[in-house]
Amino acid sequence: MDELLEQFLIEGPEQVQHAGEALLALEGRPDDAALVDQAFRAIHTLKGSVGLFDLPAMGQVLHVAEDLLGAWRDGRRALSRGAVDALIAATGQTERWLGVLAATGGGLPADADAVAADLVSRLNRALDGDAPPSAPIQATDIDTAWIEALFRDRDLAPARHPRVTALRYVPDAGCYFRGDDPVAFARAVPDLLALRITRRDVAAPVAADAYDPYACDLVVELLSAAAPEVVKGPFRFVPDQIQLLSWSPPPSPSAPVPPPALAEGPRSLRVEASRIDALAQLVDELVVAKNALSDLAGQMADGLAPQAAAQILGDRQAALDRLVARLHRTVMGIRLVPILPLLRRFPRVVRETATALGKEVDLAVDGQDVQVDKAIVEGLFEPLTHLLRNAVDHGIEPAAERAAAGKPARALISLVARREGDHVVIDVADDGRGMDPVRIRRAAAARGLLPDRMLDALADDQVLDLVFRPGFSTAEAVTDLSGRGVGMDAVRAAVGRLGGSVGISSASGQGTTVRLVLPLNLVLTKVMIVTVAGERYGIPMDGIVETARVDPDRVFPIRAGRAFVLRDTAVPLLSLAALLGLPEEARADGGPCRAVVARMGGELVAVEVGAFVGRRDVVLRPLTGLLSAMPGVLGTTLLGDGHVLMILDVPGLIAAAPSDTAPVGQGAP
Amino acid sequence: MTVEVVGNVIHLRGVCAAEDAEALLSRLQAAPQAEIDVTACRHLHGAVVQVLLAFRPNVRGMAEDIFLRDWVIPNLAAHR
Repeated sequence: MDELLEQFLIEGPEQVQHAGEALLALEGRPDDAALVDQAFRAIHTLKGSVGLFDLPAMGQVLHVAEDLLGAWRDGRRALSRGAVDALIAATGQTERWLGVLAATGGGLPADADAVAADLVSRLNRALDGDAPPSAPIQATDIDTAWIEALFRDRDLAPARHPRVTALRYVPDAGCYFRGDDPVAFARAVPDLLALRITRRDVAAPVAADAYDPYACDLVVELLSAAAPEVVKGPFRFVPDQIQLLSWSPPPSPSAPVPPPALAEGPRSLRVEASRIDALAQLVDELVVAKNALSDLAGQMADGLAPQAAAQILGDRQAALDRLVARLHRTVMGIRLVPILPLLRRFPRVVRETATALGKEVDLAVDGQDVQVDKAIVEGLFEPLTHLLRNAVDHGIEPAAERAAAGKPARALISLVARREGDHVVIDVADDGRGMDPVRIRRAAAARGLLPDRMLDALADDQVLDLVFRPGFSTAEAVTDLSGRGVGMDAVRAAVGRLGGSVGISSASGQGTTVRLVLPLNLVLTKVMIVTVAGERYGIPMDGIVETARVDPDRVFPIRAGRAFVLRDTAVPLLSLAALLGLPEEARADGGPCRAVVARMGGELVAVEVGAFVGRRDVVLRPLTGLLSAMPGVLGTTLLGDGHVLMILDVPGLIAAAPSDTAPVGQGAP
Repeated sequence: MTVEVVGNVIHLRGVCAAEDAEALLSRLQAAPQAEIDVTACRHLHGAVVQVLLAFRPNVRGMAEDIFLRDWVIPNLAAHR
């Protein structure tokens, strides 16, 4: 990648962050000139940098945004809520574009020009100051953001729907009196892919006693796989009230593929200078240690007695050991980055979501001094975004319901990270309506997630955990189900990939808290190295309950399998060689059978191995590409002698084994 | 009669036309906490949908009508 662009991709997001923070703060303190100034400078810098590249869409948006901020700064225009909204949308879009640039190495998505045109017109309206700021209905330019949002919300695959027809129908207020029924029109559209019916202005309060159901205030947005002429059919009497567009999804970045930028392409890391100095110092010491070894080699050549040589060598090796350990710790430390910059990106996400839903939500963020591995910070953005959107959408009640419950109209979500021992704990807590275990039970039963008998036996807090099950939330019935559920299984999977866990707790009427617990760094894993059929494998120590040497006489057959008694408990004994599909090795006659006892679910299970080699701290590398789908293997690590060691996931291996081979493990008869 | 109140539940039955919006509105004003049951519903007129969107009562039940069940009811439940 171009060096200039690389630099821009590091600094760009920081400028966006500065601008976004200032704009958000402006809501609370609209008279604070310093905030306007901060936003202006950030946008100005961004615009300057963008000018270095061929990114006209991004340049236009930033240019108008700068004009608007400049007008505020000089007092030529007064701040308005709509204008702040437009600016926040512009910074949000800039951030998304920066993400795309990083992923593609320098190209904007195909719809960038249309999106930019929409933003520019919104900003211009705010700059002109006369038109009402939120009037997307009158907008004559092509506004495609809603299409994209609809497309994404329905999880449509760009590959399967390369071209869709999008129609937006804004019936006029008197349409019911002419006998128009917008819902019936939508019903008549063939090959429907998505349908969204909303109020024209979701944020507008509803006057309960003076509401007029016959003043139509609906907006109907739909996507269809049929051709535009066909889709238009039902709306032929209201041509002036529809917007019709044939639309193609942008090539990829918004497609639901796993983030490619993580695995490919260079990644950069900003490091404090003092940490580099510490590293440099360590390297100096390593050079000294190496020289000491050269000295020793020289002395030995000159006839140093082997005994004395061995002692000196031992000393120097110990010194080298300490140095390498320090070097490792220091390098690991460099990978640790503060979590706060990540968390600070979310107030904007929450605000965008809340505005779209017509809710008032504040996000309080705290995570001062918490540092975690860079890979974890990178992997957390998606799941946290999901959790926060869920909280705003489903956790927080509409204003009327909050008022009825005696809660303040502005809801509060807190996002707090703190360190606990070797872990970082992140809480996402809202003060919304909470989750109702009764309704979750009902939905779980309706979906057949668990047999009724087991469902009845679950305690209420365990019932909440069901929302993380794949298949719990697939459709409409669940979305209003007291709060949560949409895609929570994806959150659990994402956090699981980072080596963490997710839990949920909720008090009905008071709110819901989702807690993520993650390791501070991904990298060091304690493993036990064993041999099977002459090959070495690693088994993570935290999965091992104990190791056992069992006299072959104490192993007894049970049905097709084997077991032995370990402190009054019968433990099934499986053969690791059979699980791995390796040839069985003959055990030396009369020698004990060596087994690793692991916990699988609540049960103990023993796995027979050839020999124990030792314990090691290893850097676990997850499998990539085709191998990543292989069950039973957590990853690999490089041993000191250059061999690659496979780290096994014993429970996964047993679960993946065909049922007839798993319990057999046939030893020599 | 397509708007029918049973206890704290307002049932919408059959084809709910524009006139039913008025009836639904007055029921909702009388009992803001009422739930709406759409199990037996075959069509919802735009005016009825608009009342449901404005007052956002809990909507429950799987409508018999496939178009309503798959496309319209989710809009009433998921507020997006």
